[in-house]
Amino acid sequence: MSTDTDNRHSVTGSDARRTPRRNARFPLGVNYYPLDSEASGWEQWYAGDVEGDFARFEAAGMTLVRIFISWKLFEPQVDRYSEQATERLRDIVDAAAAHGLRLIVCFFADDRHAELLDVSWGRDRDPRTDAYLIERECALVRHIVAEHRSDRAVFAWELGNEAFWCGFASGDELEAWAAALREAVREVDPDRPVMCAFDPETLFHESRVDGRRALGECEIVVSHPTMRYRTYAAEGPVTSPGSTHLDSFLLRAVGTRRPVLLDDVGAGTLEASHGEEAAALRCALYSGLMNGASGALVRRWRDMATERRKPYFIDPYEAIVGLSDTEGHPKPAMRVLREFAGVLGHLDLRTYSLTPERVAVLIPSERRSPLPALASLYSPRSCLEAYVRVKEAHVPVTLAHEEEPFDPFAVLIVPSVTDLAGGTWERLTSWVKGGGSLVFSYGGGEFGSEARELFGVDFLGHGGARARATCRVAQQDLLGQLEPFDVPADIPHFALLGAGTSTVVATDSAGSPLLTLNRFGQGRAVCVAAPLERVLGQSGLRTPPAEVQSFLRTLYGAVAGVTGCGPLVSCDAPEVEVALFAGEDDDVLFLLNHADRSLTANVGFVVPVATVTDIRGGSPAVVGGSSFGAPLEPHGVMVLRLCYA
Amino acid sequence: MIERSEQVRLAESLARQGRIAPAVTACYQALRVNERDPLAHCLLGGLMLAEGFCEQAARSAARAIELDQRCAAAYFVLGLAYDRMGGLWDRSVLVWQQLAEVVPDLAAAHVQLGEALAAASFADEAIDAWERALQIDPREPRAMYHLAMAALKREGMATALPGFRKAGELDPSQDDFFFALAGYDAEGLSAAAMSDIGPGIKSQLRAAHAFAANDELFKSSELIRSILDGHSDDVAALSLMAYLYLKQESVNEAMACSLRALTISTKTPTAVYALGAAFARRPALAAHASKLFSALTTMAPGQAMPHVLHAESLLGLQRYSAAGAAYRSALALDPGCVRALFGQAAVALTAGDHTAAAWAIRRAAYHDTRRRGYFWGPYDAAAEGGEQ
Amino acid sequence: MADDAPLRLYRALVKNDPAAAISVVEQVRAEGAEPDALLDSLFAPALAILGGSWADGSINEYVFTQASAVSDQILSFVTPPRMAGDTGITVLVGSMHGDSHDIDKNIIAAALREAGHRVVDLGADVRPATFLQRAEETGARIAIVCAQMVATARAVVRVREMFVSDGRTDLVLLVSGAPFAADERLARAVGADGIVGGAESAIRMVSHLARQRRGGGSAS
Repeated sequence: MSTDTDNRHSVTGSDARRTPRRNARFPLGVNYYPLDSEASGWEQWYAGDVEGDFARFEAAGMTLVRIFISWKLFEPQVDRYSEQATERLRDIVDAAAAHGLRLIVCFFADDRHAELLDVSWGRDRDPRTDAYLIERECALVRHIVAEHRSDRAVFAWELGNEAFWCGFASGDELEAWAAALREAVREVDPDRPVMCAFDPETLFHESRVDGRRALGECEIVVSHPTMRYRTYAAEGPVTSPGSTHLDSFLLRAVGTRRPVLLDDVGAGTLEASHGEEAAALRCALYSGLMNGASGALVRRWRDMATERRKPYFIDPYEAIVGLSDTEGHPKPAMRVLREFAGVLGHLDLRTYSLTPERVAVLIPSERRSPLPALASLYSPRSCLEAYVRVKEAHVPVTLAHEEEPFDPFAVLIVPSVTDLAGGTWERLTSWVKGGGSLVFSYGGGEFGSEARELFGVDFLGHGGARARATCRVAQQDLLGQLEPFDVPADIPHFALLGAGTSTVVATDSAGSPLLTLNRFGQGRAVCVAAPLERVLGQSGLRTPPAEVQSFLRTLYGAVAGVTGCGPLVSCDAPEVEVALFAGEDDDVLFLLNHADRSLTANVGFVVPVATVTDIRGGSPAVVGGSSFGAPLEPHGVMVLRLCYA
Repeated sequence: MIERSEQVRLAESLARQGRIAPAVTACYQALRVNERDPLAHCLLGGLMLAEGFCEQAARSAARAIELDQRCAAAYFVLGLAYDRMGGLWDRSVLVWQQLAEVVPDLAAAHVQLGEALAAASFADEAIDAWERALQIDPREPRAMYHLAMAALKREGMATALPGFRKAGELDPSQDDFFFALAGYDAEGLSAAAMSDIGPGIKSQLRAAHAFAANDELFKSSELIRSILDGHSDDVAALSLMAYLYLKQESVNEAMACSLRALTISTKTPTAVYALGAAFARRPALAAHASKLFSALTTMAPGQAMPHVLHAESLLGLQRYSAAGAAYRSALALDPGCVRALFGQAAVALTAGDHTAAAWAIRRAAYHDTRRRGYFWGPYDAAAEGGEQ
Repeated sequence: MADDAPLRLYRALVKNDPAAAISVVEQVRAEGAEPDALLDSLFAPALAILGGSWADGSINEYVFTQASAVSDQILSFVTPPRMAGDTGITVLVGSMHGDSHDIDKNIIAAALREAGHRVVDLGADVRPATFLQRAEETGARIAIVCAQMVATARAVVRVREMFVSDGRTDLVLLVSGAPFAADERLARAVGADGIVGGAESAIRMVSHLARQRRGGGSAS
């Protein structure tokens, strides 16, 4: 994804600091809301110092800005468009162009403050389903797009924000609305990207509406965790490891076939300290880049001046935390943004590319069950746990949906699944036979004949719930250096398995297989008899058992390794996320510490490294070996250019 | 309905005695009496095929089919003649397909069809044919061997090896080998041995082995229990018990009994065999099995089976050239050992020698066809039909 | 290993106590017994005692069967690994572009996997650039290119050229297939470092290269 903004250095007036070189191939931007204070009225739509703010965006190294159209302001009477609003938008677009910024113009947004959708003449009608209002919405879109279709400063047309999409009652209605509005854009502007800015996972969690089909026609898609989703999927503070991986988890969940914009980046609650805000932003931005995001939009520029929110008040779609405080003073998060922009400016994404992921965690289609079920409640957590554990093994990993083809992957992890869709076992069997490695953990329910054949085990019955997780290692070093454990844990299910033709790698304390490995065709099928990912995911406020985390991390890493898609860069610190951007003559290594403590990560390489240099410049440090130690601050980042011997 | 003439009956009798030349003469006499006798043509074809005159065999069989389109034995002769002539796979496939239509529940037809299809490079269709053969007769070893070969080509030896072992176990020669090791011939395992059980341990042991050989496993084990109640250290009884446990898939019990027997006497060949066979059921214990079967080749010189078992354990250890040598030893002792020929084909494939593999498979098919009397079964069925 | 370990294991088996049986194995392991020797030194003697107890009537058929079931549960603790452990050596295997023959490739890939190597099977009809790309991605240093036709065998030189043009002179190129077996000069002509003559040969050559690498101080 490119904003076509030249890579350039610029110097801003009073600041006179060197602005980071901007990276056109990774648009970095911010959501620019119309109002900064609860006390402001809807008619004060972008009435502030837009020009000044845009200059500051430029100075911060940003290239992208999302603005929100006020339908209420643009069409005060039916079919009568406000000239004042039209001119105001023209000024905004011109200002953006003057500062080398490009705009995402969001037509129908609910920002909780500026009453953007409340057209007085449309009250008591639903703007999502009412045919007359949809007709008016299409007309508005055509009006605005026609006005700016030749403006290079417009980057993309966005039909609505997630708060708007969340109001749909069904996927069909959502799809119909999106198709109508998209067609309205295309009538006037056939080329510019059109976006539906909702994250399908968070939207589904909030509304149980599956909007993925509507995204099919979009040129750019977005991912963003809401606070509610973060609480649901990754309990704990915003800077806890599960939570800091959530941004890239959702990014991966959206899919990799189209550019994904990391949206609403940063802390979402004023309860977090400034330090936590900065840490959350740093983790999200860097892990986004390290996981293939095509750009990023920070949640908000300036804090919203609000009444103090009660701690329990969490509106998933109210964006009130910005990079600067209500007075405009930069918060520590601003420095993070500038640093990130600086790194981006030195990373030529035409030359460097991420190692392709051959390992995927499978998101089961039971997650999309329209009925509330235990599976849909827990599967995202299980998937997130599995994802984090693979990350901790430093293996490049992505997510795959059950209905997608398995061919691109060499390893599939199916964590704590109750049931797979019809035909999936057959597909998995064929895929393993062809050389794939499958890791499956039993999540209760049936253990059908296909599964028994694939894993080479006999299913002797459901062993019921257990209060302890135990592991005795039978085959040492066969699937990594597994350690025995015996820890309290709520195990909801345990499959009683007979070894059959498989190799029992580990058992529970009574010798019932816990982990089996079966050679099947050219591939491997690994079965874990208990839903260990779910055990970790639902541990609640209790500290998840580190032994179980270590078990899964070792297992995933070993399976990826023997399949030939293990890490290219080894690292002895599980908390440190590693990404390697491979270039022609040198590589760029990203190290991101997800832990809230300082540590030194010892990284190792296949070939000796001659020198390392901070990507932003400085003198090369001589390594002259295959490993070196990298000291990292809590939630700290290191980006190094590697030259090999 | 096929009626047999006197001359045909004479030819049959001579053929069954292996007196081919007079049998051929009798066939020609039968044809002079009645040129439209399909059985005479069919039998003549079978005799020609046995002597390697494939073209004449094909002509006779084709004439037999022309006269009686349901003469299964003639299809066999024609199909085998085409197969052996080589390069006529399209005709061969057609013949086997017709035979499969004429006698749908004849597993051998599907086995042969699969071989013809494989030779014509229709690999997937060949697999379908062998799978159909196993559906008809789950104890059809040649189909199992072929499927194991197919698995080897697609998924490697680890997947193929259980198939080879299973096919080998379907072959009765392995059981015969055990009883030979125990010192019993066919007479020693006759029905008389089961009905006439004397009070002595020797008689009881003979009866126990006879029951085992005739699949009367419970009777055999009851007898062994009573032997052990008096002589708990009888290694022959313990070894036979291990064999019986293996037959019932109770591998650990088999290990326990054979290990106990070997604790008493390390030179008990039946115990060595039973323990080796038990180890061979556990792929992780291939090295242990290999040692035991290697020892067995010395304990039972002149027998091909220990070499075959040794070779299979070596395949599990990825020692393919050593396995090839063991198979060669087996074939030197028994050139018609189907199990060894298929094994040799597998070894050749692992070395990338497709020609040698194809040759070994054809030899295996040839010997298996002869050994199992594919011709006489359908022929007798047709002849009996004629007598009705 | 304590002398009474097989007896203790036997007692755990007849008591139908798999946890105790596992503990005996773990104790023996902790005392330094080699995993490969556990079957012969611990499990087999215990089973021999078990067989003897059943034979002399010390335990009845039911106990014998139960004990055998427990011994089955702990068998994996005493058996050597069915598959070789991970060697850490990554090998690319594929049939040359234009060549759809895959039997040799499949057998070689499976054998190398069984031997504990990390095999990346690129399939049949693989373009030279794909070999290079996957070598970069996986860190593999060994590529086995299969070709069964003379034309595709000759074309393997393009794989070598691709490696050279990218400066990857460290990549070992092995070739396999009838044309190379028939004419070793062809292998030299395409820049191959060796000819793989089947599965066993592949295992031997890769293991040899791995030993050389280890001797040279670098892995993978």
